[in-house]
Amino acid sequence: MDFSLNEEQEMFRGSVRKYLDGGGQTKIAREMAKNNTNLLTKTWKGLAQLGCMGITVKEEYGGAELTTVDQVPVLEELGRALLPGLYLETVAFAAPMIEKFGTTEQKEKYLPGIADGSRTISLAWLEPGKCFNLNDIQMTAKFDGDSMILNGSKTLVPEGNLADTYLVLVRSESETDGKGISFVLVDRNDDGVDYRVLQAMDETRHLTEVNFKNVIVSNSRILGELHRGEDAIEEGLLYLNAALTSIMVGGMDKIVEMCAEYAKIRVQFGQPIGRFQAIKHRIADMKLDLETARSLSYYAVWALDEKAEDAAVAVNSARAFITEAYLRLAGHGIQIHGGIGVTEEIDCHLYLKRAQYYQTYLGNSRLYREKAATALNW
Amino acid sequence: MDFSFTKKEEEYRRTLRIWLEENLPEGWIEGKRDLPENEEEQAQFLRDWQKKMNDGGWVAIAWPEKYGGQSASVIEEIIYHQEMVRAGAPHLINYIGIHMVGPTLMDIGTEEQREKFIPKILNAEEVWCQGYSEPNAGSDLSALKTSAVKQGDKWIINGQKVWTSYGHLADRCFLLARTSNLEKKHKGITVFLVDMKQPGVEVRPIIQMNGKHDFNEVYFNDAVAYDEEIVGEIDEGWKVMINLMLHERTGIGAQIFTLEKQFSDLVLLTNELKENGQPLIKDPFTRQKMVELYTRCRGVLLTYYRNITTSMKRGYPGAESSMDKLMSSELTKDLFEFAVSIQGHQGVLWKEDALANPFWQLDYLSSFGVTIGGGTSEVQRNTIGERLLGLPKDLR
Ligand SMILES: Cc1cc2nc3c(=O)[nH]c(=O)nc-3n(C[C@H](O)[C@H](O)[C@H](O)COP(=O)(O)OP(=O)(O)OC[C@H]3O[C@@H](n4cnc5c(N)ncnc54)[C@H](O)[C@@H]3O)c2cc1C
Repeated sequence: MDFSLNEEQEMFRGSVRKYLDGGGQTKIAREMAKNNTNLLTKTWKGLAQLGCMGITVKEEYGGAELTTVDQVPVLEELGRALLPGLYLETVAFAAPMIEKFGTTEQKEKYLPGIADGSRTISLAWLEPGKCFNLNDIQMTAKFDGDSMILNGSKTLVPEGNLADTYLVLVRSESETDGKGISFVLVDRNDDGVDYRVLQAMDETRHLTEVNFKNVIVSNSRILGELHRGEDAIEEGLLYLNAALTSIMVGGMDKIVEMCAEYAKIRVQFGQPIGRFQAIKHRIADMKLDLETARSLSYYAVWALDEKAEDAAVAVNSARAFITEAYLRLAGHGIQIHGGIGVTEEIDCHLYLKRAQYYQTYLGNSRLYREKAATALNW
Repeated sequence: MDFSFTKKEEEYRRTLRIWLEENLPEGWIEGKRDLPENEEEQAQFLRDWQKKMNDGGWVAIAWPEKYGGQSASVIEEIIYHQEMVRAGAPHLINYIGIHMVGPTLMDIGTEEQREKFIPKILNAEEVWCQGYSEPNAGSDLSALKTSAVKQGDKWIINGQKVWTSYGHLADRCFLLARTSNLEKKHKGITVFLVDMKQPGVEVRPIIQMNGKHDFNEVYFNDAVAYDEEIVGEIDEGWKVMINLMLHERTGIGAQIFTLEKQFSDLVLLTNELKENGQPLIKDPFTRQKMVELYTRCRGVLLTYYRNITTSMKRGYPGAESSMDKLMSSELTKDLFEFAVSIQGHQGVLWKEDALANPFWQLDYLSSFGVTIGGGTSEVQRNTIGERLLGLPKDLR
């Protein structure tokens, strides 16, 4: 038993952190808020050169063929720096999905690009006015020989203005009860695809509404079994959420660090505020939340790699706990900084907005607790 | 990262499991686990059980072989606690002797002390208690007033201790007493290994709010101790205390595995209790709350594993154990509160009239002590803030 990241993983973390700090850390996210994506593009290339994109991708497609655990240090660092962009959706979700469910042709088309950083993929699931229930998917795929015609709208698509490809959930059969759904890979440049950037509270994310109007694509774009997307999405969500927990842990880590540092230097009533127990004890509780989150996250990722029996329980319960803990910490972070905490200038609000964004990303914690309960056979 | 146990470790687990199956008191395996009601009979039962455990070599597994242990690894200790909890084995009556006094004597005691006390700790011939807290010295132990004054070859002890767990059963006390009144409060304290069965020691029971008797007041009126019964240097008892506290690490493990067991009992309870003909676990609110508790239990356990990994790599345990203590004790309280609350209006009844097993009500009430004993939650938060996060020390 050894419950820690190993030396190489920690070294890798070190180089990713150094690189992101050099790029200005949260500056990359702040530039996005100003609609300037240059710094993100540059950072993405840099991360690709460090080898961050193909960690789990098979060697034959240009990856390093390592484990999901090996990806944890990168994810945590991206979370610390609040990096926008599509690492979660592309590298942590689409890559293992394509690896697992893709045809040889699809693997050859998408995986090398993911591994070298030249292709990004976003997830287009939610529809306007709907929720994450599979019965709510109304975007249609009508078949016509070797091709299909797609019609419908997706919303809250992360960085839909930047993604090269969307992984779209469509209704391929009229059946409900969670069935009749398929995954389709649609490129942003395909004819009939149109998007609009939405105003998000987390302005460092470009959430978009993507419209598909008579988009004609080949049937070979279907990922996994036709009409049976529900199994694939459940599995894919485990990968995505496990990775999301690591990202959030990174954010929480940074919040605790910022608060402890500030509490040491900010002097009031003649002493550092960290000497007041109202502050000290709150940061101690934040530390407990952080370490609990980290433990749950490590185990979730490990269990997924090991195909452990309790992998689904581990991922879903960790996701529920950590989204809530992240938001709680971000709020404390502002309070501890006092007046300066609510300003635009200090980073506290960026973490709060990101935490709020993840709260309901692909479902809320009530949903994930229910999934965990079901996986526990309760 | 690896959460699995090696073949050799699993083999260790099997050996212990088989030993327990063959040696647990009658009826235990089948689930009849009631200790004798009568206090003296119960103590005798537990002493006999510990002796049996010791004959099998299972009392102080982490101790070096030369003192009667197995030189067990940290992982083997984890397995040990897991198996003891799984079997619901009776607790070891000499918990304090095994986890605190024994290891401290090995580190700091004299050869004579080791020879004299250690074998009797193992076979429960001498049960130990720890006498630190006083009416005016709780979290601030350095305020203690119990005095030990040298008279010829004897030390004369006077004062009062309080909350002394096992005091009524104990043969010996690991006692902190003031031997000098220097400016510095931490200076001038000395550790004595005091005979509890002498005329100058009076033990008065304190009854807890659940009706149980676990701790006591202890009065010392001209009680006597000898030079040979001092651990470490005179006036340097604080250092001995610090050393002793490092040994509490594995004790926390036992508490954490117990918490796991309590949680799985809670799952059974939510399956047994019905509302509108449906098991309570099907009720959406209960399910949500149960997953929350489940997740926190896992979080405590996994963080404990991570902290153990850290201390193994570093070579010694550190302030991380304050996180384990704080998390597990606060969670214990929340768990029992929920267990009683889901019993609805019947939750107000206990003992013979309890809806389910009355231990839910009894342990609910005991749970309030776990965030106080062994250092309060506030004191743990200070430790985490100051030692793990580097925040400035409280004004003292
Ligand atoms: C079940 C149980 C078993 C015990 N067994 C033993 C035993 O075997 N031997 C023994 O010697 N003792 C034992 N104790 C005593 C235990 O160690 C003390 O109760 C504990 O250290 C707290 O001291 P106190 O009760 O005097 O509370 P106090 O120290 O008076 O605390 C009162 C309140 O003030 C808070 N407080 C105190 N100081 C600070 C501070 N610096 N910062 C913030 N808040 C503070 C506390 O957290 C608490 O909320 C036991 C206690 C319990 C509950």
